[in-house]
Amino acid sequence: MTLVEETPTTTANKPPAAPTAAREGRRRENLAGYLFMSPWLAGFVLLTAGPMIASLYYAFTDYNLFTPPQWVGFDNFTTMFHDPRWQKSVQVTLTYVVVATPLKLLLALAVALLLAQKRRGQALYRAAFYLPSLIGASVSVGFVWRALFSDHAIVDRTQTVLGLHAGGWIGNPDYVLYALVALTIWQFGAPMVIFLAGLKQVPPELYEAAAIDGAGPLRRFWSITLPTISPVLFFNVLLESIHAFQVFGSAYVVSNTQCGPADATLVYTCYLYQKGFKESQMGFAAAMAWTLVIAVALVTAVLFWSQKKWVHYENETEAAK
Amino acid sequence: MTGNRDRGHEGLGRGDLDRRGLLKVAGGSLAALGLTAAGCGSGGGDGTVSLRYAWWGGEPRTVAIKKTIRLFEKKYPKIKIKPEFADYEAFWEKFQTQASGGNPPDVFQNAVGFLRKYDKRGVLMDLKSQASAGNLSLKNFRNGVLTAGQADGKQLGIPVGANTMALVIDLDVFKKAGVDPKAGWTWDEYWSALRKIHDTQKIAGDTGYFTVMYLYDLYLRQHGRAFYTDTDLGFTQDDLTQWWSDGYKRVKSGIVADPKKIEQVAPKSGLSAGLAAAEFTWDNFSVRYEGEGRSDYGLAPIPTTDGKHTGQYLGSLMLSAFSGTEHPKEAAQFIDFMVHDPEVGKIMGYDRGILATTEQYDAYKPTDRTSKGIAAFEEEVAKAGVLGKITPHPSGADVIEAAFLRIGKEVAQGKSRPSAAAQQFFGEAKAAFAA
Repeated sequence: MTLVEETPTTTANKPPAAPTAAREGRRRENLAGYLFMSPWLAGFVLLTAGPMIASLYYAFTDYNLFTPPQWVGFDNFTTMFHDPRWQKSVQVTLTYVVVATPLKLLLALAVALLLAQKRRGQALYRAAFYLPSLIGASVSVGFVWRALFSDHAIVDRTQTVLGLHAGGWIGNPDYVLYALVALTIWQFGAPMVIFLAGLKQVPPELYEAAAIDGAGPLRRFWSITLPTISPVLFFNVLLESIHAFQVFGSAYVVSNTQCGPADATLVYTCYLYQKGFKESQMGFAAAMAWTLVIAVALVTAVLFWSQKKWVHYENETEAAK
Repeated sequence: MTGNRDRGHEGLGRGDLDRRGLLKVAGGSLAALGLTAAGCGSGGGDGTVSLRYAWWGGEPRTVAIKKTIRLFEKKYPKIKIKPEFADYEAFWEKFQTQASGGNPPDVFQNAVGFLRKYDKRGVLMDLKSQASAGNLSLKNFRNGVLTAGQADGKQLGIPVGANTMALVIDLDVFKKAGVDPKAGWTWDEYWSALRKIHDTQKIAGDTGYFTVMYLYDLYLRQHGRAFYTDTDLGFTQDDLTQWWSDGYKRVKSGIVADPKKIEQVAPKSGLSAGLAAAEFTWDNFSVRYEGEGRSDYGLAPIPTTDGKHTGQYLGSLMLSAFSGTEHPKEAAQFIDFMVHDPEVGKIMGYDRGILATTEQYDAYKPTDRTSKGIAAFEEEVAKAGVLGKITPHPSGADVIEAAFLRIGKEVAQGKSRPSAAAQQFFGEAKAAFAA
């Protein structure tokens, strides 16, 4: 009895038992790892995943935050599609995305091309052009924008000199959205930096070869630069469109929290916010949120599908050879 | 290899920092959390109670209220007050979130548009019970203003001040234009006054009267109706189409300010920004415009339909208590002190309207021109015998007021035809009543 009992204990202390100890150690390490991750995990589950699942449920309910949610099936969605303000918010958001994203990327690419050339003070220029990206989303810049685009301010005066007597943009439902577009274009620094990184990757020997073949600068841009940086362009298009769909802060601040005048800056998220937090229709707001998620997912899917036609990855080209 | 790694860990002292160490750390943080939670609890061991008190308003109001809180804490050393404040819109967004989580402030500023909304949701205490328990006096309220805090047989708020709607005017412009508004003047006289101001002073007459829900309410009252019945709107879609069509015509003719310009000066008023010479709003707003604008501002009578009846009534800011507060008695004592104590009246002045109780009204003697103007205005209105009774608003009135303003501005901008706008408004009102 004693012998039998002793055997495992003694063996445990001998070399053959090392793997068990190692496994034990690994388990401890895993546990420690999860414990260290736990603040993030708890945050993710409690503050992101949980609320998302809850909001999916609320999207199918009538919920005013006070009385328990009532299941209404697809009612929120049908009401939403027939709601003229919802339609307006979709129209405003699409206009914003379609106008602002290409213009911003065009400017970012143009400036990146200029800054890719070696010249004195290069770092300074880069920093200067990047700066608006850092501060552009702040509330104070929103206020500055309000001032810039009001009557008799700089924009109004400039356009008057050019013969355009339109007055300030902020109070004018026909123009105010373009003040927001200008605000986001001004923040072209972030995609510019990504373009710059992409431009660095273009092999210089391609340009040399093309120059020998007699290709001009435009030709070189179309046939070498653009195809080579197309993955970077794709990434920027994707990122900027997704961002543009979710615009909120600038519309909220520039319009003095009303997303107006006359709903002219009623971007999607602003209407969502009004429905949820001002009109206590949380079910409707949740339905709106999920519709946006699906719409953005669709746009992303279309972009991914389209990249087969115009995005060139280096390894693919080599594989094709 | 494995042995090496293990030893390496030992060497670093990792062996001690595994489960037990981590659990200790975790336990420590939990304990700390527990302590914080205990610290947040509202009952101290020595019988001290703490109450959260929230209000909206500008800086001067906050400074004054904090003074009154110190006064209260001196008199009731066992009750501590934690102040919370924000501007109007932020206040109600925060309040809604807190209240839905069962955690609203114990005592808070309130207004007629929110009484039924939050009573329906079970948030408001019926203060009658506290009054009969002797913790709160409902006596000495002036001109029956106490009714402003009542709905469906309950006392849901205790008024701190009385306001009436008024026409706030730019005194300089009116004088220069030679317009002298008299009690009982008619709408036609008002429109021709605006015309005269526009033609002689080259600024608009009115900032945008037809987007103000409380003014349309007065207009309807002059015709024997009101903006709200107990559960619905008190007018038809055709009425509103007419009201907005007329408004739009007056924008086009220039006697009502260009909405594009009004929009640009927000959150300042078009009146204090010098874009127009008159604005319909609550009389205590003249205090704000006096600080904001360059001109001098005064109060003029509401135009009438029949030469006498303005449709006015006493509105009020009030204090309400949370139905689920842990300290109903102390909350009631606090409200009682805030509405009856003469010193509090002296500190607050007419910031929230003319002081509601005789104790405070008698204690405060206005010295500045604006406050004197408000007092004189309300006295005249009361003497004229035109004050009607306030009707409690149905649940959803706050959302409807915002929609009335927003859609009215769309009409003003020419972005919505009055008939389509009225239809949109009725649709949104229906949803707001149901929410």
